[in-house]
Amino acid sequence: MASISRELAEFLESGISVLVGSRDARLLPEVARAFGARVEAGGRELTVFVPVATAERTLANARENGRLAVCFSAIDHRSYQVKGRMKGVRAADEDDRRSIERYRAALAHIYGTVGMPPRLTYRINHWPAHAVRLEVETIFLQTPGPGAGGALGQPRRGKKT
Amino acid sequence: MKRLEELQTCFQGIIPSLIATSSADGEPNITYLSQVYYVDPKHVALSCQFFNKTRRNVSENPYATVILQDPLTFETWRLQLRFVRAETEGALFDTMSMRIQVIASHTGMAGVFKLISADVYEVLAYAPVEGFLMPPDPVLDAQAPPPIAGPMTELRGLQLVSERIARAADLDGLLAETLAALDECLGFSHSMVLLLDECTGRLVTIASRGYGAEGIGAEVAVGQGVIGMAAEKRRMVRIAGMGGELRYGRAIRGRVAELGGQDKLAPEIPLPGLADSQVQLALPLLSCTRMVGVLAVESRDPLCFDEWDEAFLQIVGHQIALGIDRMQAIEGESDSSTAFRPRKDGKRAKRPSSGVKRSFVYYKNDDCVFVDGEYLIRNVPGKILWKILRQRRDEDQIEFTNRELRLDPTLGLPPIKDNLESRLILLRKRLAEKCPDVRIVPVKRGRFALELDAEIELVEKEQA
Repeated sequence: MASISRELAEFLESGISVLVGSRDARLLPEVARAFGARVEAGGRELTVFVPVATAERTLANARENGRLAVCFSAIDHRSYQVKGRMKGVRAADEDDRRSIERYRAALAHIYGTVGMPPRLTYRINHWPAHAVRLEVETIFLQTPGPGAGGALGQPRRGKKT
Repeated sequence: MKRLEELQTCFQGIIPSLIATSSADGEPNITYLSQVYYVDPKHVALSCQFFNKTRRNVSENPYATVILQDPLTFETWRLQLRFVRAETEGALFDTMSMRIQVIASHTGMAGVFKLISADVYEVLAYAPVEGFLMPPDPVLDAQAPPPIAGPMTELRGLQLVSERIARAADLDGLLAETLAALDECLGFSHSMVLLLDECTGRLVTIASRGYGAEGIGAEVAVGQGVIGMAAEKRRMVRIAGMGGELRYGRAIRGRVAELGGQDKLAPEIPLPGLADSQVQLALPLLSCTRMVGVLAVESRDPLCFDEWDEAFLQIVGHQIALGIDRMQAIEGESDSSTAFRPRKDGKRAKRPSSGVKRSFVYYKNDDCVFVDGEYLIRNVPGKILWKILRQRRDEDQIEFTNRELRLDPTLGLPPIKDNLESRLILLRKRLAEKCPDVRIVPVKRGRFALELDAEIELVEKEQA
């Protein structure tokens, strides 16, 4: 299992775009926008906040087979993709809501710098949300260009938690 | 529900689209797409620039989900697709490839960043993502009503542009009037015309609107950037969401550099014009089969040019090209009737008394002229300037004819369609900007005077 370094965690938890990919039993893929992420358990777990309004299929897929891909992408296209299995889902609480609101403000600011009116970013449905926790299996560098999709380091062996 | 072709604003790539796929063993994958291209009511095409996980996945499991967003309303659409085929040639491939090449050449990556295939997908279903946006706030999200526009006002504008092209007396007037009319009647406030210099194979900015005087003389190689690509392919090129795509190109450039491919990268070409341009449209000026130049317009509003704009700009473009041809024909006729007579009156040209001195240096190796240490002009216009400055200094010649320039083999003018008038316009404008006390003033058709308000010093050097 791979784990997220502290440096990478800082990037993943900043106000960058977070998208959650999944697929159903027929292998039809699905994508939903998440409102931020939190790196946990020393980098071995990741919680993403997906809005109830738009994540119905994603959640159904995750419950059906657990396979998730989370794509993090900054405005300059620096991107990472974290793949893993869902370990649990719960309704986001008030503490989560504060971090969702912080993420919203950061996202509106960043989108504003490339011409997206903050009012529009603030209108994206974000609450109530599910907090989806996944175990990190692999991390890929996804910045477009040669070598995109390469795994970061080798998966660590042994040492189960 | 909207028809697929009505999602044009989403297809422009202003907000990058997303694609989700899954491998045959069920591992999902998401990535951003640089381009989703509308093919027909049942198909879209996606650009494949690198053989990546998405491509591997769809070869194992053909299903994909694409998310498109409207950059104005943020309306979000989910397209369910099935991979059909990868095209590596043909009209679709060429159209998509041109856009990629434009981005590649703007980011100095021509050849590194290119289209491998245009991947055609069948659209199995598409629908808006319900609930993506919360309802608008009646006060905070209230929008101003859209401005009144439409075919009638634009047709009227087109008529005015056309009239001004028809009335123009010379090439300089034709270009200035056309660009002014495009601005005043049709709202294209940043525009330029570049003419092809057949001696160098480069396009040279001869007239501009909305940029001040500085853009005059700026050069673009055929094939380079939006403008050069329109000239090379002889097709209109429109690039919207430039900011986003240039960032995408620069991300790839950054990765190439990180991976040690720095030597493959050419220096990045600065985009002429607006630093924060969001959309640029360039169309070739074609007269019969001859490409005389390019008309380029740009805007900070990524959605300001639509297909309707393209249609009437093409009409304007044809008129400009025919107008340039007409000017050259008139120029040729007047030339034959204007014989050059050297000064025989024995009078010396009046010596300037301002006390200002201008120092010109001519570099023989690249026909480049500097004034007081600053670059002024090069190539044929550079040679013309050097010739007339010397004749002024050595023989006190004040007036010059186009004919004597055409008869001088050392200037290297092509025997037909020599663009002499446009070279003189360029020279006149560069002097006005960099050295206003040395002026080229038209006297009558085919004849001009060199006016000096400064002492001139001429130095020739082999090379810089």
